[in-house]
This record gives sequence, C-alpha cells and structure tokens, in this order.
Amino acid sequence: MHKISTSVIKKDHAAKMGGSAYYVGDYPSKGVLHSSFIRSPHAHARIRKVHYPALPPGYFSVDYRDITGENSVHVVLDDLPVFAQEEVFYIGDAIGMIVGPDAETTAELAAACEVSYEELPAILDINDAETAFFDYHYGRGDTERAFSEADHVFEEDFETGYQEQAYLEPQGMIAQVENDVLTVRGSLQCPYYVHRATAKATGLPTERIRIVQEVTGGGFGGKEAYPSLLAAQLGVAALKAKGQAVRCIFGRREDMEFTSKRHPSRCHYRVAVKEGRVTAMEIDVRFNSGAFTTLSPVVLQRGIIASPGVYNVENLQVRGRALRTHTVPNGAYRGFGAPQTFFAVELMMDHIAASLGQDPLEFKRANLAKQGDATSTSGRYHFPVPLPEMIERVLAASDYANKRAAYAAPQDSLYRKGIGLSLWFHGAGFTGAGERDLIKAVVALEKNAAGQVEILTANTDMGQGVKTTFSKIVAHELGIPYEDIIIHNPDTSRVPDSGPTAASRSLMVVGELLRRAAIRLKEEWCEGQPQRIEEHYTHPDYLVPFNLETFSGDAYPTFAWGVGVVELGFDTLTGANEVLGSWSCFDIGTLADEAIAVGQMEGGVLQGLGYSSMEQMAIDGRGRIRNNSYSDYLIPTSVDVPQLEVQMHVCEYPGGPYGAKGAGELPLVGIPAAFIAAAEQALGVRGINHIPLTAEETLDYLSGSQHGKDKESVR
Amino acid sequence: MRCEIEFTLNGATTQWAGEAGRKLLDVLRDEFALVGVKCGCREGECGACSVLMDGVLVNSCLVAMGRLQGCEVLTIEGYRLTERFKVLDRALANRSAVQCGYCIPGMVLAAEALLAACPRPSDAEVRRGLSGNLCRCTGYNAIAGAILDASKEGEGLW
Amino acid sequence: MVNSMVQTPKGKEGDTLAPKTLEAALASLAQEGAIPYAGGTDLMVAEDERRPFLFLHNIAELQGFSEDDEYYRLGAGLTYTRIMNDKRMPALLVEAASQIAAPAIRNAGTIGGNIANASPKADSALVLVATDSLVRLVSAAGERVIPIGQFLVGRQKTTRRPDELLVEILMPKRWLADYRFTKVGGRKALAISRVSFAGLFAAESGVIQHLALAFGAVEDTIVRRPQIDGLLIGKSVEEARALSEEWLAAWDAAITPLRGRVSARYRKQVCLNLAAAFLKSRLESTD
Repeated sequence: MHKISTSVIKKDHAAKMGGSAYYVGDYPSKGVLHSSFIRSPHAHARIRKVHYPALPPGYFSVDYRDITGENSVHVVLDDLPVFAQEEVFYIGDAIGMIVGPDAETTAELAAACEVSYEELPAILDINDAETAFFDYHYGRGDTERAFSEADHVFEEDFETGYQEQAYLEPQGMIAQVENDVLTVRGSLQCPYYVHRATAKATGLPTERIRIVQEVTGGGFGGKEAYPSLLAAQLGVAALKAKGQAVRCIFGRREDMEFTSKRHPSRCHYRVAVKEGRVTAMEIDVRFNSGAFTTLSPVVLQRGIIASPGVYNVENLQVRGRALRTHTVPNGAYRGFGAPQTFFAVELMMDHIAASLGQDPLEFKRANLAKQGDATSTSGRYHFPVPLPEMIERVLAASDYANKRAAYAAPQDSLYRKGIGLSLWFHGAGFTGAGERDLIKAVVALEKNAAGQVEILTANTDMGQGVKTTFSKIVAHELGIPYEDIIIHNPDTSRVPDSGPTAASRSLMVVGELLRRAAIRLKEEWCEGQPQRIEEHYTHPDYLVPFNLETFSGDAYPTFAWGVGVVELGFDTLTGANEVLGSWSCFDIGTLADEAIAVGQMEGGVLQGLGYSSMEQMAIDGRGRIRNNSYSDYLIPTSVDVPQLEVQMHVCEYPGGPYGAKGAGELPLVGIPAAFIAAAEQALGVRGINHIPLTAEETLDYLSGSQHGKDKESVR
Repeated sequence: MRCEIEFTLNGATTQWAGEAGRKLLDVLRDEFALVGVKCGCREGECGACSVLMDGVLVNSCLVAMGRLQGCEVLTIEGYRLTERFKVLDRALANRSAVQCGYCIPGMVLAAEALLAACPRPSDAEVRRGLSGNLCRCTGYNAIAGAILDASKEGEGLW
Repeated sequence: MVNSMVQTPKGKEGDTLAPKTLEAALASLAQEGAIPYAGGTDLMVAEDERRPFLFLHNIAELQGFSEDDEYYRLGAGLTYTRIMNDKRMPALLVEAASQIAAPAIRNAGTIGGNIANASPKADSALVLVATDSLVRLVSAAGERVIPIGQFLVGRQKTTRRPDELLVEILMPKRWLADYRFTKVGGRKALAISRVSFAGLFAAESGVIQHLALAFGAVEDTIVRRPQIDGLLIGKSVEEARALSEEWLAAWDAAITPLRGRVSARYRKQVCLNLAAAFLKSRLESTD
C-alpha cells in the first residue's frame, strides 16, 4: 500500500461529529427574508395571467420581469429559463416567488397567487416524444457485414427508472447584496457553475458576484446543476431585496418533486455473435431529458460511450437521444448516464450466454477488452484492464461458483435464491477534451509566514472527503504535518476556478495539480515568507484526441474498474426480495485514503442496490411525481444490506496523484445488472430487463403471468 | 393553544412559552440555536432530527412542545460534552465514518440510546438501533463498525 | 379554531395541558373538545401547531399492564418499545410492535394511538383485530367496552365520541399460542405496510378449534371475517383440506383492496398467498 493510503482523521470530522458544522439552513432564520415559489401545477400550459394578492408591507414578488440579466440559466445550452414567462413546461416550473420576512406568510401569499393557464398537450412518455434535444451517432467497423456473417443475432430492450439523489440535506441557499457584491451561500457542488449562472441571470459583472459553498450534506450529482437555477432565482430576488438576505431552504417534498434526478432510459440492443465472440452491436439509447436540456447532452455522451460495456466490439453502431418531455429536467446523478447503459449491456451479455448455453461469466471473459484494444470510440485502453484478477477476488469472496451452481437447480421452496455478477468501468474525469478546452483548471497554494499552507481550489467536499485527501497530498509533498494544511469551503472571491466537483475528477485531476503545486512550493520554499503558487492544467500527451462530432478518440484519460456480485433471496408469497450479500472489487488506482475510498465504494454500492429495487419513483397521468417523500421514495436503511463487502484492487494510473484515478461514481454503475442477474436466477426467468424490480412484478414472474411493467410507472 | 412549560434542555432548566403544538425540532433550531439538530423531512422518516427525551431516542419533528413539561431533552450540543461522546467520536473518526455529516448528530444519539440499553451489542443489534436514521453516503458499514468499536473501547461507560 | 381559551394552560400540576389523572383528562375532553395526544408520531406529521392537544402521557391508568384469566389488559398509552421489552406481553403483539417503523417511532408511538388513529395500515391494530380484542372507552359520563371491530369503522374513523378516551385494550388470552404475523413493506425498517397479515390457529385431537385471519393495508379498515374462518372451525384436518379451496375462494371474494401506490391486484394476491400458506402449514403440522 502506498504511504498516502494510510487513513487520517478527516479534516471535517470534528465539526460534523459534534453538530457544529454549519449547513446553509443553519444560518439564523430570523432577520432574513424568506421565499416561497409559485410553481406550475400543469405539465404544459400557456400562462394567461398572473394575479398577485395584495402584498403586505415588506413583501414583494419576483418573476421574469425582475430579471436584470438574461432569463436563462447557464448550464450547457442555457435553454432553461430562470422564471417561466409565457409558458410552463413541467409541473413545478417556477413562475415567480413571494419574498418577505415571515416564512409562513410567504407560503400563504404564494398559494394565494392566481395564475390562469391555458393547458396545452403534454408529452410525458419518451415513446411519445417528438423532439430529440440531442441525437448522437457514432460507430466503427462494418456492422452490416458482421450481422450478415453472424452465427447468432440477439435483440432486446431494457428500461431503467428515475433515481432520486436523496441527499439528507435538502437544497438551499441564501443570497444577499453586501457592499455592492451579490453573495450567494449554498449547498452546492460547483461554485463556478453557480457563479456563471448568477452572472448571466443578474447581468452583474463577475467581480460583483461571490459564491460560497457551505457545508454540503450530500450531492451525488443532484447539486451539480440545480443550484445554478436556484442561485439565479435567488440572486434576482436579492437584487430586489436591497441588501436584505433572501433565504430559500427546500422542504423534502419540494426537493424531491422539483429538482433533477437520474434520467429514466430505454435502450435497444442488437448483437451479433460469431464463434462465441461478440462481433457487432447496434445500440439505440434513449434518455428522458425532461423539459429542458440542462446536463442531458453530457449525460447522454457518457451513457452512449459506455454502452458496449467492457467488451472489445469491433463493429459498432450507436445512436443516443435525449428526448424532450414535459417533466422535471433530469440531470446528474453518480454514474452520469453510464448506469443505464451498463445495466443493458451486462444483462444483454448474460442473456446471450444463456441462449448459447454458456456460463455468462465465461462468455464475458471471452469477450473482454484488454490493454491496447480499441475503446468504443476508437481510442485505446492505454493501461492494463485488471478485470480478470478482480473477478477472481470477487468469486472467492462471494463463493459465486458454488452458489451459482446450487441455485441453478430447480427451486420449489417458498424462499428462493439467486446470484449474479456484472463487470464495468467508469471513464475517469470529463468526457473528451473538456478538461483542456472548457475547464482549464487552476489551483493555488498559499503559505503564510508561520509555514502553514492553505489549499485554494473550487472543489467542494460534500462528504466524499476531498478536503482530507487534498490536504494529505499537499502535506505529503511538502513534508509538513497534515495539521498545518488549511482548507476551507470554497469561496469564489478567494479560490481560482479548478473546475466542478463532478465526473470523478476532483482527486485525479485537481489532486494531481495540487501535488505539482506542492512540489514547486517545496522547491521555492522561503522560511517565514508568505508565498503563493499556482498550477494550471496540462493535458496528457498520450491521448488520442477526442472529436465530439464523430465520437472518436480517447473519451477518457483512463478508466476505473468494477466487478460486482449480488446474492438475493425472494419470498415467493409476497414477492419481497432481500439482499443476502453484495461483494465487489474496485480499481480506482492508488487509494488517496483507504477508509475514505472504501466508504465511497460501500455507499455507492448501496445506492446501486436501492436503484435496482426499492427506489421507485413514478409520475401520474398528469405528469406529477408521486413519490415525493422519504415515506414514498424508499432508500436503504442500516438493516437492509448488512452484508456488503468491498475489496480494492490497485492498478496505478500515472496521470493521477501517486497513481489515483476517478473513484466516486464507479461503485454504483454496474450493481443493477448484477442485481437483476441474481433475480433472474432466483425466479427462473430471463428478461427482467428493467429496474427497479418491484414485488408485484416478482409475483407475476413467479406465477408465470408476467404482465410486464406497468407502462405508466416509468417514463 | 399556547402553553408555558419548564423543561431541562442540555442540563439547564428552561422556561418556554408558545404554541403547545409547535414541533420541538423548530424550537430547538429557531429559538435555541441548537442547529446540530438537523431537519431532513419533518415527518419522522429520516432520523436527522433525533434527540434524547428522558434518555429515550425520539424524532424531534414529531414531538409537540406541550409534551415536554418536566422532561429532559438532550441534543448533540449537550451530548458532545460527555465522556461517552468522546469514545464515539474517536471510533467514528478512526473509521472515517462521517461523510456528509448531515445524519451524524441524530445517528450519534441513536448510538447512545442503543449502547445505553445494550452496552455490548452485536452487529445486527447495532444496525437495528440505527434503522430509523437514514444515511445516503456511507452504506452504514463504517458507522456500524465504529459503534461496535466504541462499545469495546468504552467498557464500563455504558 | 376549536379552542378559544383566555388563559394559558400552565405546564404545572393539575393543569389542563398534561393532566395527571384520568378524571382531569376526561373533564378537559368533555369541555374543550381537545385532541388527545398520545405518542404524537401520527398527529405531528401534520403542520398545524395551533391544534388544542391534550397530552396523555402523565395518566397512570394509560400506562398499566395486567392480566387475568381471560385477558391481557394493556394501557392505551404503552409505547411499542415498552411492549417489546416487557416479557409478559403476548408474543404476537411483540412481534408486530418490533416491526413497526424504527426505534425512535417505537419509543414514542403508543398502541392506543395506533388504534385511535384508525389507519388500515396500523400493525398493532391488525393484531388486535385478529385476536378479537376489546377496547375500553371512558368518558366523564361512564365507560363502555366494545369489540375493536366496532371501534374501527373506517379510514381515520372510529366510534370514539369526542368526550371519550381510549383507556385500555383487552386482548383475549385464548388462541394466542399458534400464530403468524407477516408485514410486507418496501424495506426492512421504516416501512409502511403494503399488506399485513395475522393468523391464529388452534387444533385439538385433529379438530380445528380456532382459526382467525386478519388483513391490513388492503381496505379502509382491517379485514376480519369470522364467518369465513368459521367454515373450518370444528372440522377435522381432512375435512378442512377438502374445504380449503372454498375457504380461500370466500376470502378471495371478501377482500377488495383499494387503489394505492402498490396495485390492488398485487395486494389481493399476497393476502391469498399468505392465507393459503398459513392454513397449509397448520394443517400439515396438525396431521
């Protein structure tokens, strides 16, 4: 184990443990203005008239007319308005806000607003969608020929549902103009995203906007883009509030119903097999974008790049669409498009193997990509593909072979078991040349006269531990105590733009910049003198340049790898399932901190297990999300998966600090396929091609009267 | 319905007047600035607002102020001054069991309630004791493991 | 506003906020139409801090437990945790209580509150219905003891008069030896029942002495049909086997699940599966 991997006490441990960590909702709620949104009850409608009730002194409304900049939230294509102007496009679309000194009164006044609408036809299902916001195609080889020469051709459809991030701390922000500077404090992942969105909406010059991340109670992608919308709205309100602070802390229901979630998906796979090898895949991926584009293009890009899985497929045609519906805009969630396509490809491979009378694992092994092979986008797997060794470790830990054989025998008791396995990767960092062309990360180290060194980056610690791992890296290179490293929550008035906290990039990319900065600071160290060192991103020179038009080249500098086994038990009377065990092995390169890394992996696996089973979110016939509370949207508790084991396999990546690579998203990505593979074995069926798997469907599968999935339940 | 009550809050005798139906959670946070008590759902489904009431774990979002006459309420702000807290603190620190931290104050009080009732719990008992406290970050292994560590380290304290 | 009190009720001895005696509580109820507050775990989900609560936790009569030859007598104010931790409690009730929600809810929530809230998903109420328990209601004018089936009459609807308090539950001791309780939730803790089932069985010398099934979370009230189970009572195992399809068909006809998040079709199927499996297992063990 590398020396850096030895765990330390996390930088933020003491404050969080003792309850003194200040989250944005913990700022005093007295003496500030509260805000309540006026939201559309219709999935699609024209706004005829907005009639505000008489507002008491000290109360005011905020809507599109108050926007001093552009009515547009900067994300990628900027089509999402700050406030709806003529039309609403999803239930919850914000028309305006009521702001004032008493929270209850603002809520009552917002409820008393009379908005008259002309309802318009709403598209709620991606099968009915008419508009593809994005329609990507890529491929290589000659699929037509491969299919015509194939021994077998297989074709299947797959479907995944919503997943809600369900971070424990709801979204929230406070905005205030202080000394001519608009300051927005909030629970957020990406301070500079919020900064740019606030600038665009308010029209203020960037130096008059300051974004401060407060302690953030979980993000998982849910606080990547949505805070840009909320900050734009609150920023506009704060400009109208003339120096008073405007606060907005979402309740759980508002948060679950109206903020971004994982894209529901439908995938179609057509696969050619010749002599036991997959020779071609034709893949059609459709994601439900929701009403606006927000992060859908980048989520979709990652999803389709991952769609052929960990296999070496010579001939490939992939189409991916993000379709417009009149539902809440979907966005980032740990895995960012890859969980949907890995679910499909891994089950596809299982089913092909079964059709060929082969063991799924053997079939997958025979088709695995290896170092030097081309990636889906005709880049290269530049580094070793450690899956074979990782598979062995998971097989041993889970006793997979024996269980798989035992459960394959006919089961006729009231309780049935199954075990499944899946293989996956996660492309580390941004897709393509985003780091070089868009982010251009900058970090700084500031040393004070006492020899303490402060880390200045825009990366946020939302629980994943970057404050600690960054500090360890800098302390290690400087040879000074970890306690002498200072790291605060980012404040854009103090930190350079080191890019967003997303795409499993923070440690690998920003951590490496910090390592280099620390090396330089050490070289230039002047005892007793304040010093500042800046380090700028440099693009790895071994990469095959990525072209986003053709989806060709190295989409990622390297990959993190995962192997997961899930064992399930089913009660045949009730259809209820339980996870009897989950064993995984992950390669995230060198561990920047062993306990932090393992904690990330365990948490991610559990989210993947929830995504597969109990986490059900559906919309009704009018487009309203019905599961908007913790009693209706169930996430795993401490007793749901007592046996959850992870192992770490270290395959060093030379571009990351000490060999570290992307970590955070990886563990979730492939779990659903292992889950459903286990379910198919236990229930003795093939073709449970969707998640989440409900108890009612389970009973149908058991009785053979498989009605399939309620078409209303997943869009 | 207004009421005037007297209760013990983190060891201090406290008078309070207001609506008897007000949520303890809101009073602790808004009037006593005890913001270590976190609000995650306001309906008893997440456990982030857990406090001890007469030594018993409750969701402060589901306790009306009128219920508190004569009661002792302990929040994380009071509990963190105890020897038992120090043992749990070290145990969770050593396993890096705290990620986003939002569930932690409630989780710690759930751990205290568990260990007070069952000083040497099994892993299954620990998990049962935490089953009303949702955590979205950790997968629970590190937290459960740390509580088991604490039960050994804190021999005699519970 | 129900309440227009001039003076502020003090949280002191003899007050109207949290009376120490049943008499005082009943006097308050008779005059003010207050809302009885037991554990608060259901009531407090609603956001209305102005409700006129009458806090019941100080009343000793609500905290008692005793048993005589015929009944377990449970104070309505016993929390689920107290029930779980008391070795004298009937095992069926302990099992149901221990699967309710999570520790913090079980510490506050009471068996009386679980009934009086009249949710068809209430797990302890299911047990009381299956066991044909009685409830004792007391008012300043007197008291009555009625079967729980006459108390729970609809979703959030009971026959409690506003001046009455649910004081005690009388659970018959007979027939408790052999039971099954099954809660079907979406996860292993903090779960609201999607279907719940309780079954009691007794046989002697190969003859069925007692059979009682109850189903929760399917209709507006917990479903119990003594006349259906009566088909098999007094029958031998062989006779019961021969009648079991008729019995199951009667249950099939009797249960009409309401629409919910989880489909009615599924909940019906689970009810029938649990009923059939319960009978089958008992007939097998009686052989």
